[in-house]
Amino acid sequence: MQEFMLFIKTKGDHLEGLSPEEQQAHIQKIGNYIGGLMQSGKLKSAQPLDMAGAVVYGNKGTFKDGPFNESKEVIVGYFHISAENLDEAIEIAKANPIFESEEASIEIRPIKQMDGIN
Amino acid sequence: MSKGQAGISDKIDHLFRYEYGKLVSVLTKTFGASNIELAEDVVQEAMLEALKQWEYKGIPQNPVGWIYKVAKYKAVNLVNREKYKREYSSVVAQYLQSEWTVEPALNHIFTEKEIEDDQLRMIFTCCHPSISTDSQIALTLKTLCGFSIPEISKAFLSTEESINKRLVRARKTIRDSNIAFEVPMGRELGQRMVSVMETIYLLFNEGYNASSGNSFIRFELCAEAIRLAEIISQNTNIVNKSKIHALLALMSLNASRFTSRADAFGNSVDLEHQDRSKWDKSLMHRGLVYLERSMPQREVSNYHILATISAHHCTAKDFKSTDWESILSLYDNLVKIDRSSIVLLNRAIVVSKVKGAGDALAELEAIQDKTVLLSYLPYYTAKAELHFLNDQAEVARNLLKKALDLPINENYRSLIINKLKTY
Repeated sequence: MQEFMLFIKTKGDHLEGLSPEEQQAHIQKIGNYIGGLMQSGKLKSAQPLDMAGAVVYGNKGTFKDGPFNESKEVIVGYFHISAENLDEAIEIAKANPIFESEEASIEIRPIKQMDGIN
Repeated sequence: MSKGQAGISDKIDHLFRYEYGKLVSVLTKTFGASNIELAEDVVQEAMLEALKQWEYKGIPQNPVGWIYKVAKYKAVNLVNREKYKREYSSVVAQYLQSEWTVEPALNHIFTEKEIEDDQLRMIFTCCHPSISTDSQIALTLKTLCGFSIPEISKAFLSTEESINKRLVRARKTIRDSNIAFEVPMGRELGQRMVSVMETIYLLFNEGYNASSGNSFIRFELCAEAIRLAEIISQNTNIVNKSKIHALLALMSLNASRFTSRADAFGNSVDLEHQDRSKWDKSLMHRGLVYLERSMPQREVSNYHILATISAHHCTAKDFKSTDWESILSLYDNLVKIDRSSIVLLNRAIVVSKVKGAGDALAELEAIQDKTVLLSYLPYYTAKAELHFLNDQAEVARNLLKKALDLPINENYRSLIINKLKTY
């Protein structure tokens, strides 16, 4: 078993264009998906992120900051899961119902394992 | 209005008993074992809210569902409000703190299977060996059986303050020793089952043997002990059920004789003089079914033997036709497992039925002056009876006089005084 972070990215707020009924249906689907992961013991946590926030960038001394650009691809939430290997993590990501409603991308990154301290 | 109110209270009392333990168990998993009291508070609040609402709006179609819904909302609000104030040692609490996971988590933890498992976890947590036995029983009654502190104190003839102290100590032990909310696995399960069953049997005997106190509450204790054992026996995670079935058989068979042990005036009646038509046939039948279920495994525990002895008494047509020889051979097996003075005393009584009072008295010499027996009333009365049958009325009378010095209630005192007149 290995742990992975799944970063969900969409262009802007993916729920914005949906009618209340569509939102409801979307939430229902997400609920089933997450419930399934929970039952199989693969879900550590999952949280949506607010559409507000800020970015800092640059070097120390020449920091720049500002609101981040919502129109570009943004991280809307993350899943922290455990899976047998990267292949399984990919399968889990592909099953995310977010792909049914719009174009999205999910970045799958294994969490580095610590073997101990020498 | 007041009439309706009483009706609602009754209904909610009933719900309370049946649902309280389940809800507290689920919420204890949610908040972590160190937050048992928080779980109890949430359930209590939910029930109070139900009472308030229903007084005005009437009882809803699905009252259980209603209470569960309120408890769910309260739990979610609480973990989110106190997010940074409290340590929740559970993954569930984390789920309840995220918009994405809260609904699936609630659906998941409130399935029937999860609720059953949580009740089992709760039993193992409350009966953890690092908690003192007194506190184990108090905590079990409070959290799993929905008993109030006044009810527990009535059942144990103790003050509310001292019961509360036991509860506080139990919760503190759970926190301090970081007791996990789980059913142990592998070899540890067997060992922990032994102590869980001991606590349940003790709870049963508190109800069954108490010399005084409200008999309604005492029977409730017996019924709760049986219910807790059934939670264990019905759980699919427990594979070896031989002993728990034997314990269930023993408790059911003994409980079937509960009411016949006192006459209309509340005086206790011994087995010989009990009205056997008063024995609860359906409870007895259940006991016999459990006894049969306990048999296939090759294991023999004290519960198996005691249940079989109890079954002999239950199925004997009258006292005279009791199969004392079989009972004696069961006692011979029992002393191989348990050589405690009380078992030896009970065996000696059976010896007297089979071989006569003289032999029984000879057996009793082995446990002469054991400290546990010196304050044990049946020791004096049984021994006195044996001496009387052995034509030693003087010795018998002296023993009963000694018994009168014990701290016993009026009921027993008058029984002994009556007995003294017959010797």
